[in-house]
Amino acid sequence: MSPSFHRRFRNHKGQVIVALPREEREALGEFLGQLRGMLVDDSDPSLRRLKPPAQPDDPASELDYREMIGDDLLTARLEAIDIVESGLDGATLDEDDVAAWMQSLNCLRLVLGERFEVEGVDPDIADSDSPMFDIYHWLAWLLEQLVEAAMPGLDH
Amino acid sequence: MTAPVITPIEITEQNSATDLDKPWKVIVWDDPINLMSYVTFVFRKLFGHSKEKATRLMLEVHTTGKAVVATGPREKSELDVFRLHEHGLWATMERDS
Repeated sequence: MSPSFHRRFRNHKGQVIVALPREEREALGEFLGQLRGMLVDDSDPSLRRLKPPAQPDDPASELDYREMIGDDLLTARLEAIDIVESGLDGATLDEDDVAAWMQSLNCLRLVLGERFEVEGVDPDIADSDSPMFDIYHWLAWLLEQLVEAAMPGLDH
Repeated sequence: MTAPVITPIEITEQNSATDLDKPWKVIVWDDPINLMSYVTFVFRKLFGHSKEKATRLMLEVHTTGKAVVATGPREKSELDVFRLHEHGLWATMERDS
């Protein structure tokens, strides 16, 4: 998935800049579209990791918590996807944009990772040419770069 | 980003005063998916930890299976859990015992 090695995220004078090759822009756009559909539909079991319980040992308090947050988590995820989509062709990210990119890339990994777990496969040792493993590792590679590019911003 | 609207929660349980005074703790659990560098980043960003402290907490999660990343009143803990969930981390909260 990495035809040319250049950094997809870099820090230039304190700002995080996105530069994805065309095929990666298209792939990410496609996956984010699917993720949005899944989030809105809310029936795919692979979403489990995106909405973990806050108080698993206390059902009454858990219910209170769920009522309190309502759709806030879903809304935040959908807004984050919107931000990423608007910057796919290249963007300079502010702090909120960086969070949106991180959260969206990570959401995609969590959905894929949950599927692997259900299927009983370990993507780190799986001997397979399934494109799903490539996508999973590519997302990790992107997220690592974004974390590195955004790290200097934490010192301010 | 949208922050959750924290509304006061009516306490319906029979809590003693000491129970109510007790702080809550926010726990992050180990999972096989989240990247170590990302988890460290999130701890630094959300809790303002130094790089060293955030790394230590991340390693504690990774090696022991969980770590208490914050303590405080219920409302603050709920917000912490929400923000950790927003970042895709596996976080829970419980009353400090």
